[in-house]
Amino acid sequence: MRKLLILLIAALLAVPSVAMAAESVDELQRKIQEMTLELNELSKRVDKTERHTALDRISWYGDLRVKADTLHYKDVTRSQGVFFDFADFGARAMGGEFGDPGDPASPIAKFVTAFPQQANTFFTGGYAPQDFFIIAAPEKSDINNDILYTTRLRLGMKAKVWENVNFSGRLSMYKNWGDSTGSKVFDSWNSFTMDGTNGGNTTGDWVRVERAYFDWKDIGGSNFYLSIGRRPSTYGPPSQYRENEMRGGTPSGHLVHFNFDGITIGYKLGKHTGVEGQVVRFCYGQGFESEWGNGELFNEIDTDDVHLGGFNIDAINDGTNFLQFTLFRAEDVTDGFKGVIAFPSQFAQQLAPTMWQDLQNFPNFNFVTRVQPSTNIGDIMLGGVGFTREEMNGVNWFASLGWTRTDPNGKAGMFGGLLSDPVYQAALVPDPAGGEMIMPMVTATPSSNDEEDGYSVYVGVQVPAPLGKFGLEYNYGSRYWTPFTQAQDDVVGSKLATRGHAGEAYYIFDINPNMFIKVGAIYYDYKYTGSGSPVGAPVKIEDVQDGTAASILPAVDEVWDGYASLTVKF
Amino acid sequence: MKRMTGIILTLILLALCTSFALAAEGGNPKKGKYLYKKNCKSCHAAGAEGGELTPLSKTQAQWDRFFEKKGQACQGHAKISEKDVKDVQQFLFDHAADSDQPETCG
Repeated sequence: MRKLLILLIAALLAVPSVAMAAESVDELQRKIQEMTLELNELSKRVDKTERHTALDRISWYGDLRVKADTLHYKDVTRSQGVFFDFADFGARAMGGEFGDPGDPASPIAKFVTAFPQQANTFFTGGYAPQDFFIIAAPEKSDINNDILYTTRLRLGMKAKVWENVNFSGRLSMYKNWGDSTGSKVFDSWNSFTMDGTNGGNTTGDWVRVERAYFDWKDIGGSNFYLSIGRRPSTYGPPSQYRENEMRGGTPSGHLVHFNFDGITIGYKLGKHTGVEGQVVRFCYGQGFESEWGNGELFNEIDTDDVHLGGFNIDAINDGTNFLQFTLFRAEDVTDGFKGVIAFPSQFAQQLAPTMWQDLQNFPNFNFVTRVQPSTNIGDIMLGGVGFTREEMNGVNWFASLGWTRTDPNGKAGMFGGLLSDPVYQAALVPDPAGGEMIMPMVTATPSSNDEEDGYSVYVGVQVPAPLGKFGLEYNYGSRYWTPFTQAQDDVVGSKLATRGHAGEAYYIFDINPNMFIKVGAIYYDYKYTGSGSPVGAPVKIEDVQDGTAASILPAVDEVWDGYASLTVKF
Repeated sequence: MKRMTGIILTLILLALCTSFALAAEGGNPKKGKYLYKKNCKSCHAAGAEGGELTPLSKTQAQWDRFFEKKGQACQGHAKISEKDVKDVQQFLFDHAADSDQPETCG
């Protein structure tokens, strides 16, 4: 009985464990089946993802910036005139070429009657042998644009071609609100729709290829790399701090802020020297193609291509310190580039009087025209050294020195030579009222053939501040400062090309890592005309205001540009 | 001008009302880079015990998940403070595969 009882108890105890064991096996099998199904589903999904990744070869990213600027120009001066050869005029007048001054119908008498004040200055020896002949008294005005909205869209592309080969590209659109014509009335480099500056100037709702290049790294297992295409030659250091982004281009943004098509051969020297980020690069680009697609049928306009080459060296780039040396040379610079402008009717008043008469019937029309350079005018050297430092406490600061040298070749186009004006000489033309009259006619002789050195300093600091950062920047450019920064997207014009002083203060509110608001102002104090232009002689702004120097384009004295922008990165 | 002032004020208010909601927020990336090189590379170099890890190994969200799960373990291995881990996390987050990268050639 006792044995039976023990057996029964043992059986009772055993039953649940056997039953439980049976349940566990079933449960495990069920779970394995479920997991197998899930794995199969996951595998199918991963296959789809892999297939998508393999086929979706371009990785897209981008940013969108909307900006409001309030622009206040002080003392915008127009001083109509030409750089005139008075010595030639005097000699020919003495020789009797312009007729008898005593005869009111003679060209010389008509000339004196038309310009009595200038004639008086001439006869009393008030002009240098070659000097500005001012046609009319300067007109000065202030221009206020209370609000100007712009939108800048940039779509970045990346693709891995092979283990050591990558493609990068960027499409960009930069427009001011309410204008998609793609052309502006020409009043400065800022209004010229052209290859090198499209990305940095408002040119309507066209999405343009700002960058497209490949990088072929570690060629043959070496430290060399090769990169060819439309270059990352804008937004370079140290201009990335004010943009609130990473380094945006390879060359110094103080010297070059211009789209180039070209080639870079780089060598990662740091792998030998142990200095982090040390790279030596030789860059080559073409700024103007003289033959293909130009406006003459039988190659009548004889110009050479414009080539640019030089060295761009990151001596240190360790994430804290950045030291860069730049030395470039632009060969056979032309008196302009290929581009599209809306023709300013005022040019016709001075340069094409017959056309001016017709244009009076269409005061609000500007014809859009493609222009191209006519003459090679010389060479330009650019050099610079820039240092930036990102401190542990979040303070970033930089200092950059820039140098340019112009080496003219003695030639000038319609608007001048390298940092020189074209010389005008007196010519006899038929007078619509009868007989002949004297007109100043442009020659191919530049007002100066001197080498000119230009200098610039650019300094700035950015400090952490509540909700973001605060920055201050200052730059100064001398009279002959001639960098290639015309694609910098400041609406007034590239602040780094300023011949004079420019100061900027800004506050960046970092909303999240992909959004920020920037509020700030730039103050420009121009000392000389033609900032950013290698063509035309820079003259003192005050001389233009006094009427002792001419400026065919508006000569701006001071500008305040207050702005607020919202940028989203995606 | 009044209109412009209004826009600026609105933008400032918008910025002030915005809050941060990032796991990696608050670290010092500059210190993080230094600490990463000094303390993390020994385990996370190519062929090392922990497997190679560079900032580009993961996306920003993946770095956040990584530190959620393994942050304390790494802190123990590297014998660094919680603040140091945050700095390293900020550095890796800021330079993650989906972060902004310098736009240069080569």
